[in-house]
Amino acid sequence: MRPFDVTFIWHSLLILIPYTGVTLGVMVLSLFAGIILGALLAWGRLSGFKPAESISVFYVHIIRCTPSIVLLFVVYYGFPGIYQYFTGIHAGYTGKLFYIVDALAMMSGASMCELMRSAYISVDSGQSEAAFCIGMNRLQTAWFVIIPQAVSVAVPNFCNEVIILLKQGSLAFIIGFIDLMGETQVLIGRSYGAHGLEAYIALACIYWLLTLIIEKILSLVETRYLRGISIVGREGGIWS
Amino acid sequence: MELNLPFLWRTFFLALQGIPVALEITILALVFSVVPAFFMALVRIYRVRILTPMVKIYVSFIRGTPIVVQILIIYSLLPSLINWFVLKTGSTYDIFSIDPVIYALVVFTIHTAAGFSELIRSAILTVDGGQMDAAAALGMKKLQAFHLVIIPQAAVSAIPNLCNLTINLFKETSLVFLMTVKDITAIAKIEASYGYNYIEAYLDIFIIYLLVCSAIQAVFYAMEKFFRKVQRKTR
Repeated sequence: MRPFDVTFIWHSLLILIPYTGVTLGVMVLSLFAGIILGALLAWGRLSGFKPAESISVFYVHIIRCTPSIVLLFVVYYGFPGIYQYFTGIHAGYTGKLFYIVDALAMMSGASMCELMRSAYISVDSGQSEAAFCIGMNRLQTAWFVIIPQAVSVAVPNFCNEVIILLKQGSLAFIIGFIDLMGETQVLIGRSYGAHGLEAYIALACIYWLLTLIIEKILSLVETRYLRGISIVGREGGIWS
Repeated sequence: MELNLPFLWRTFFLALQGIPVALEITILALVFSVVPAFFMALVRIYRVRILTPMVKIYVSFIRGTPIVVQILIIYSLLPSLINWFVLKTGSTYDIFSIDPVIYALVVFTIHTAAGFSELIRSAILTVDGGQMDAAAALGMKKLQAFHLVIIPQAAVSAIPNLCNLTINLFKETSLVFLMTVKDITAIAKIEASYGYNYIEAYLDIFIIYLLVCSAIQAVFYAMEKFFRKVQRKTR
């Protein structure tokens, strides 16, 4: 077996940790863009306006069927081409951050749409009828009555989505973006490919830790939103 | 933007040849991970000591790290481990002759087992606990009760999640080009690199994945419909 150097794990951890910021930055940017896109899609889906509904359904279906790496490449090679077609300027392949955030936002937009829709539907329709009875308009109803209740339902799925987004961001190294994963490749290249395994283990540890932290934060948010609501029999019966 | 249409057309059919490999990895990974996943689900449901925290850590690790990292870890660990083993035992087996599909299967089985165990666990928990009591009252053994009462009910409720799992798995197999397996993505990438026709190649596989995933969804939808019908008849 080839040499396995445990100290190299520590060594690469120290080099990799500063790049956590890049990965988290990509995640947060695409999360925001994804939430906006998802909200628009969910709005279209729930509006009852047929064309908007079918666009939303179609979009979600397409994204659901596309591997993230394929979408990333289509965006990375396709967007400059489309831009050039309309303006005659070749945008080049340099602003990699833009393409990655774009692709990730397109990905998460679809799942955010599904998430928001199911959370919105989960709120009992009597609530909106009651709001209508006391004279609220639709925007007020959504903002003051439905959304506060829907958020508590959506948080566990939202946590999942954030983690998936974090993990999908790691694919950016394939188009040469330097985040955690990209820096790991650089690190391995710098040591002539000798310590691949150690570097990947360090990388896995960082990702794992980030996921656990995100899960912890969002479970705190969930308990904050669930105060006052008792949950009976989550894992009830003889199974527990 | 000018698309190279003849290239687009030709590569589409070339990339179609990658579908069997991708489906093979998907299906075999699912099949291989059923038994360990079921075992892990039972461990978590019955809260077996010592094993439960181990399963939890395993699931959390798989969930917490990107599939790329898992692929790269196993692909840099497994071959050298096998090589060491081969050298130790003094056999003359050539490890470079191992088909990389085997490594892909190992990675995806390990990866899927975690998600699958959570799926099975939640499916079993949706079955009312009283069913188990009723089976015990009829004098069934635990194994019999699982086989005859719990699993048939849990399976139906698990189908939509299983569809999700299969589709995600199929999508993730697009990363096997990192392990030099020639699947859909790898074939398109190789074709594209001759003349830098990346956008055409990726449009091709975009369409292929769309078609195959839609087909998978349709199959699962039909399956769910069929099972719901059967279930209704038996009631």
